[in-house]
Amino acid sequence: MPDIVTATDLTRRYGEGEAAVDALAGVTVAFPAGGLTAIMGPSGSGKSTLMHCLAGLDTPTSGSVTLDGVELSGLGDKELTELRRDRVGFVFQAFNLLPVLTAEENITLPLTLAGRKPDQAWLDQLIETVGLTDRRTHRPAELSGGQQQRVAVARALVHKPAVVFADEPTGNLDSNSSEEIQRLLRQSVDDLGQTVIMVTHDAHAASIADRLLVLADGRIVHDAPAGDADAVFEVMRGVTA
Amino acid sequence: MTSLTLRNMASRKLRTALTSIAIILGVAMISGTFVLTDTINKSFDDIFQAGNQGIDVAVTPKTVAGLDGIDGPQLSMPQTLVKQVAAVDGVAVAEGSVSGQVSIRSPEGKAISKGPPNFASSVADERFTAFRYTEGRAPSTPREVALDASTFDKQGFRLGGPVTVVGAQGATRYTITGVVRFGDENSLAGASFALMTTPEAQRATGQAGRVNEIDVAGDDGVSPAELKSRVATALRGERVTVRTGQENADKQSEDLKKNLSFLRTALLVFGGIAVFVGAFVIYNTFSITVAQRTRELALLRTLGASRGQVLRSVALEAAIIGLAASIVGLIGGLLLAPGLTQLFSAFGFDLPSGGSVVQARTIIVALLVGTLVTILASLAPALRATRVAPVAAMREGLSEGEGRRRRPYFATLLLVVGVVLLCLGLFGNGSGGQAATLLGLGAAVVFLAVALLSPRLVKPLAAGIGRPLQGIFGLSGLLARENATRNPARTAVTAAALMIGVALVAFVSIFAAGLTGSVDATVDKSFTGDLTVMATDGFSPVPEGAQAAVAKVPGVGDTTAFRFSRGKVRGVSGTPAVVGVDPSVARTYKTTWKEGDNDVLANLGADGAVVDAGSGLGDKYKVGDRFTVTTPTGKQVTFTVRGLVDEGDFGVLGGGMVVSTQAVVEDFGVRQPGMIAVKFDGSRPAPEVRKEVDTLLERQFPNAEAQTKEELKKSQSDQINQLLGLIYALLALSVIVSLFGIVNTLALSVFERTRELGMLRAIGTTRRQVRRIVRLEAVITSLIGASLGVVLGVLFALLVSRPLEEEGFVLTFPIVTLLILLVLSALAGIVAAIMPARRASKLDVLEALAYE
Repeated sequence: MPDIVTATDLTRRYGEGEAAVDALAGVTVAFPAGGLTAIMGPSGSGKSTLMHCLAGLDTPTSGSVTLDGVELSGLGDKELTELRRDRVGFVFQAFNLLPVLTAEENITLPLTLAGRKPDQAWLDQLIETVGLTDRRTHRPAELSGGQQQRVAVARALVHKPAVVFADEPTGNLDSNSSEEIQRLLRQSVDDLGQTVIMVTHDAHAASIADRLLVLADGRIVHDAPAGDADAVFEVMRGVTA
Repeated sequence: MTSLTLRNMASRKLRTALTSIAIILGVAMISGTFVLTDTINKSFDDIFQAGNQGIDVAVTPKTVAGLDGIDGPQLSMPQTLVKQVAAVDGVAVAEGSVSGQVSIRSPEGKAISKGPPNFASSVADERFTAFRYTEGRAPSTPREVALDASTFDKQGFRLGGPVTVVGAQGATRYTITGVVRFGDENSLAGASFALMTTPEAQRATGQAGRVNEIDVAGDDGVSPAELKSRVATALRGERVTVRTGQENADKQSEDLKKNLSFLRTALLVFGGIAVFVGAFVIYNTFSITVAQRTRELALLRTLGASRGQVLRSVALEAAIIGLAASIVGLIGGLLLAPGLTQLFSAFGFDLPSGGSVVQARTIIVALLVGTLVTILASLAPALRATRVAPVAAMREGLSEGEGRRRRPYFATLLLVVGVVLLCLGLFGNGSGGQAATLLGLGAAVVFLAVALLSPRLVKPLAAGIGRPLQGIFGLSGLLARENATRNPARTAVTAAALMIGVALVAFVSIFAAGLTGSVDATVDKSFTGDLTVMATDGFSPVPEGAQAAVAKVPGVGDTTAFRFSRGKVRGVSGTPAVVGVDPSVARTYKTTWKEGDNDVLANLGADGAVVDAGSGLGDKYKVGDRFTVTTPTGKQVTFTVRGLVDEGDFGVLGGGMVVSTQAVVEDFGVRQPGMIAVKFDGSRPAPEVRKEVDTLLERQFPNAEAQTKEELKKSQSDQINQLLGLIYALLALSVIVSLFGIVNTLALSVFERTRELGMLRAIGTTRRQVRRIVRLEAVITSLIGASLGVVLGVLFALLVSRPLEEEGFVLTFPIVTLLILLVLSALAGIVAAIMPARRASKLDVLEALAYE
């Protein structure tokens, strides 16, 4: 399997001089295609920063990121925008749907932005997969939190991106809804062959992953198959202790 | 993306509506002005066309360019020319017509109108006039008149009954023999007419033996053009202009348009100010909207929206709001035009009106201005929107942030540019129009610069204003102050919108106070008589016969007639004012002499002149020098300088040059005095003499009135205040626009602070306290704007009065007016806060806390 995303010797420094903080202090990691990776770590460990850098949202201070064969450093805003639009999907903790658009319109937003028409059959299948067939014309305000997040997942998948980044996708959900979302992400990897990189605090969520990365102080301190929730707990206890 | 923009707007109807109002009002003013002035033009065009319909050729006195404005004298020609014209081959009829301003009195003896003029005109051959008799017949004796139907009906005259007309020789009673309509209209654009026999019209208008126009009808088969050239040949050497009827109508229309252009420009300026203020409101609303939508914009960017797409979505919103607001404004303008007419008449300036005329130009300009200004004002916020980092979508609890505080190089540069423009306008030697443009531009740039600098001033100003409020209202005051300073840029721009209106009001009131003070000082310094006699309307001439009649009142010593005109002198810019005076001026008037004394004034003779040492004339000529003046009648007259008064010290005589009555009457064609100065001889108690003069004027010259020095000062300042009132009313528009800006900003701030307000309510803040916090924030914002405005207004007044100081302008500060202005601004802030405060207090606590 070729690597979809690779990071080489990534550092990200915030601030200057004595107040400078290294959110990432030399991270080298590769994500092969078709797998679900969970990134965990205590607050301030740099996991979000890593994800932002991998997704081309944040620019690393040094090091390089390659996404789907494209070297990100040196890309201008226009190229980065197009890269995100065409090859990256996002799922956020806070759903981040546009309140004035219907569920379906929110799902197709990445395509609309690119000026493309959705493949109707694929869209129907996707909406059915996320279980929103009877909610297509509802506005976000009319949907439950779980339903909103399912819209967000569908939106992340609609343009068949090379990689989906999920930032605490279950952070705002009750346990039932969380499980649904976890199942959906798992399904997207297993059935659709997606690559998913997920930042999470939730050991249960992490346990669905194929691989668990743990960051602390801007460095990778653990990189191994995830195992079940108890195993994940165990790993995390070791890191925070 | 387009539908996203539209739905975003639809989901924020109130905000969209409030933003639109900022543009609607200005556009309404602009389009209303065009409609109003076009309508006036059109109604006069119709009148001129109708009036010239049967005229093949019209002969009028030749005018001198620059001296033929509305303040020029009424020109006339000798009646003997009529016979000369009649003798021309091909002329069927030639008729001299006379017309002049008089005062027609109501059956109760009062003036019948404040605004539109009254005319006495000679009865004309039916083919030369559009007047048609609806009742009775044309006057045939000198004591008969026909009145226009509108005046006849409105004033309740009756056929065969009496009417008094005050002409050049005083009041005369006539019998009404007929009623006329003008074409299909009852009146001629609101003006009143008394038609008289030609000799009587000549007498009543003070033009014995003279005519104002000769109308000619040709024999069959002679074209107007042919006839025109024959008449012109016959009158070669006379100071007349010969035109065909059509050319005459066109010329009259054109003259009117020239006179109206001032009104149009003035009204457009006020519309422009409102639009300018509106631009601030638009800018602020879009800035806040963009800030509040940061997360949404970042999300779009994360999902792959390009910068261009974000820019276009914001610009599209602006374009839609701008266009929609312009359309509403345009419609508003159509409705406003009659309202403007009402506004003017409420302040004593009546304008004629007819069916509204809407030209394509009005529509294009209104839509273009409104839409472009909105788009331009939203450009900076739209650009800021494109700079939202995609990663902002991921951050929790993001704050709007203060943005980068750049050093204010640009704003300072702008301020310097603005001040330079102002100075160029004030001290440069451009024409009046250029100077005004520079001043306007300079003021606009200064406003912009101060608006850009003002975020830095918000904190200290809010502290200064907020501290006393905090003292009175405690915690509410403190929170209001904190809220006002939380986002200084937002508060600053909101306040700046109000600042503009307040600055202009402050400037105008300071300037008017200075003007009033200067007029008082001028009268005190230069007038040594006991009474002045002037027309009751303040600008019409005094009937010629009034002087002699007043002089006969026992106890009256000297009477001095002042006649006002203008002339052109080669090598001297502009058209210096010319005043003709009687020799008795030596006793009713005084000045400070550089060379000469009052005896010089008393002995000017036919060719003597006294000039202002500081004026263009005084710069060029010394005592003994001769110079040639072109008068409004086209004569070239040579005068000799006999004396020089100190710079700007002509006092009540105005600027320019003073000549004898003989010269001004014969050479400048001014027969009726503008003012008569009266000095008592001391043989009787002054109040008795005054009373007798009043009685005389009331009986014989009811359109004139006597005033003491104090009364004169009072009536002059009343006139200034009347104009001031009108300007205030027009500036109110801009202030209203800026108030909507405050409403908008507060509403958005309340929305933004939903969670915080919910928290305040949860811990026990009462609704009333919440309302008070919002209200006090509004008061702080409006007072910041008002105090900046007053300061700017004072600075403008200081600057603008500099070049006028030489002409005796005394700057005074109407402290009370300025304080009232501040209080009114604070009250306006409270009014603006009503709706947002209610919203804030009605928040459901639980929902507010759960608000995402």
